[in-house]
Amino acid sequence: MYKLGATIKKEMLILIRDKIGLSILFIMPIVLIFVMTLIQDSAFKTINEKGIPIVLVNNDKDSLGNAIHRGLKTSTLVDLTDKIDGKLATPESLKKAVAEGKFILGIVVPQGATKTIRNHVSNLVNETITFEKTQEVSPFEITLVIDPVAKKTFVTSVTSSLHEFISELKTQIMFQSFSDQIAELIPDGGNAPKKAYERSQIINYNEIYASDLIGDVVPNAVQHNVPAWTIFGMFFIVISVVGNVMKEKKEGSAFRLRTMPTSYLTLMNGKIIVYVVVCFIQFLLMLGVGIFILPLIGLPALQLGNSIPSVLFLALTTSFAATGFGVLVGTLANSEQQGAILGSLSILLLSAIGGILVPTYVMPDIMRSISIISPLNWALEGFYKLFLRGGGFVDILPNIALLFGFFLLVMSISSISNRLTNKD
Amino acid sequence: MRPVLRMSAENIIEIQSLSKSFKGGFEPALNEVNLTIAKNEVYGLLGPNGAGKTTLISIVCGVLKPTSGKVKLAGYDVLENSKEISQLIGVVPQDIALYPTLTARENLAFYGAMYGLKGAEKNKKINDWLEKLGLIEAADRKVSTFSGGMKRRVNLIASVLHQPKILFLDEPTVGVDVQSRNVIIDHLKSLNQEGMTIIYTSHHMEEAENFCSKIAIIDYGSILTEGSPEQLIERTEGAMHLEDVFLKLTKRKLRD
Repeated sequence: MYKLGATIKKEMLILIRDKIGLSILFIMPIVLIFVMTLIQDSAFKTINEKGIPIVLVNNDKDSLGNAIHRGLKTSTLVDLTDKIDGKLATPESLKKAVAEGKFILGIVVPQGATKTIRNHVSNLVNETITFEKTQEVSPFEITLVIDPVAKKTFVTSVTSSLHEFISELKTQIMFQSFSDQIAELIPDGGNAPKKAYERSQIINYNEIYASDLIGDVVPNAVQHNVPAWTIFGMFFIVISVVGNVMKEKKEGSAFRLRTMPTSYLTLMNGKIIVYVVVCFIQFLLMLGVGIFILPLIGLPALQLGNSIPSVLFLALTTSFAATGFGVLVGTLANSEQQGAILGSLSILLLSAIGGILVPTYVMPDIMRSISIISPLNWALEGFYKLFLRGGGFVDILPNIALLFGFFLLVMSISSISNRLTNKD
Repeated sequence: MRPVLRMSAENIIEIQSLSKSFKGGFEPALNEVNLTIAKNEVYGLLGPNGAGKTTLISIVCGVLKPTSGKVKLAGYDVLENSKEISQLIGVVPQDIALYPTLTARENLAFYGAMYGLKGAEKNKKINDWLEKLGLIEAADRKVSTFSGGMKRRVNLIASVLHQPKILFLDEPTVGVDVQSRNVIIDHLKSLNQEGMTIIYTSHHMEEAENFCSKIAIIDYGSILTEGSPEQLIERTEGAMHLEDVFLKLTKRKLRD
């Protein structure tokens, strides 16, 4: 214990005296949280507040075209215009403007679209009543011009919504035409209820989040990004730990220490304890940014869920996993440069796999199965359970077990590797 | 004051048929080395760069595993009794193995603790050594502000605080001024007088000639000759100094 205490004291002194290194350790993760949340929230707001830029050419100028125009104009998701550079848009100018990236989507409603629907309905009614075959009505085409740069998933979600919206309008027009036709055919038809279509809507949708969180915690950029980038920042402690281990090798202290009656694990545990404390302080600072600083710039405050002790315990095990991984990389690397590259690339790789950079649910199946090998994923899933799903200590026990198991595994590998490489 | 060569029957280091080959190496770094070093000896290992000196010391200290052969220190096998051996030995590495951002006192306190020294005893030893080697005034300055000579002196203290029975020195005076070198050598002599066995490597032939009671010249991983400096000079035709013996045995060809 005395040797461990001396090692901790030495590591603390080295860390405290490296003013630049220390400020990087604490300032960079805070900047990371701040910038990443701000960027992702801005992107989210661009779509939500300003809306998706869409241009419309309404050649129909009747019920369908006007309803599409009215519907999109009132939507908060869409920034609709029918003009390009101050002039009324035409199908040609629309295509050119979308190709130039001025709009994500262009919609062309052809002339006579509403009339075609009405004719179609009229024919159907006549066929039903008179049993006589009527002349076929040619279908019309609504053209959607899509910016090729726009992401496919985004375009799919926008066009799906648009298809649904247009389909509903078409149904509404058909329903209205049916009502009008039937009113003409049956006695006292003029007294038919005028709002029959609205009354036909018998299904309502109630969307709620599957969360046990108390109060109205709504998932937002802060709730998603702060835990993700906090874990990313915490794992960057690997670079500092690797630097520390490599410096000791380079300066000869590691050689001298190997001749002394002190075990490798005592020396490494001294580092682990100091860097776990640093990592934990980093976590608290980054959490503090989410709770206190982000609301000052108009972002929602981070909600910690129902169990703060669980949050702290998960952060502690994440710190152990990150620091232990640093010791492993430092032990395996043969030079400072090798250690720095191996350390930073492995964190980036584990972050990408683990769903920090891109959510796992948008990954292909194979990558989603691989994501479960990343300790960053275990930590992230644990924080999501606490911050978004309202889980407690029991819910995150598997995550804690995995993270601490990972720590024990990397320390064992480091110890064995140290013994083998030093004696060869 | 040259240490007396004692023809003691008690050998503190016994090396038998020691060989070491590194992966990818063309030739073995050590080739069937046999050596016995008596207790209280100042034993010099001299050889050109790449001769195998540091490899030999690393194996004897238990840091490196030999390919074959046996090494015993004070009766302990280095491979089987590493714990006992690490308490017996002190190693002054060729590099300045100190933490530059810590003060001399903090460095020594850490290394002393690693040898199990504690509290007042540790502090007294640190102060005594800093005083002896003229570093007490600079004790609370960061090592990074020290001159090369001062660093070498702290480097030495870090390995002798626990009063080891055997002290290994890998070029302890390289790159230091004459004053620091004399201080270091004088203190090593007094440690030897107190009963410490010293194994020392150097490129300073004059220093080795004056300091060592026995010398082995090593090249290409083999011991070429062994004896007191006087014996080596006497045995070599036309040699006036140890340097003549060294050049004659290791040839004048430049080494990598």
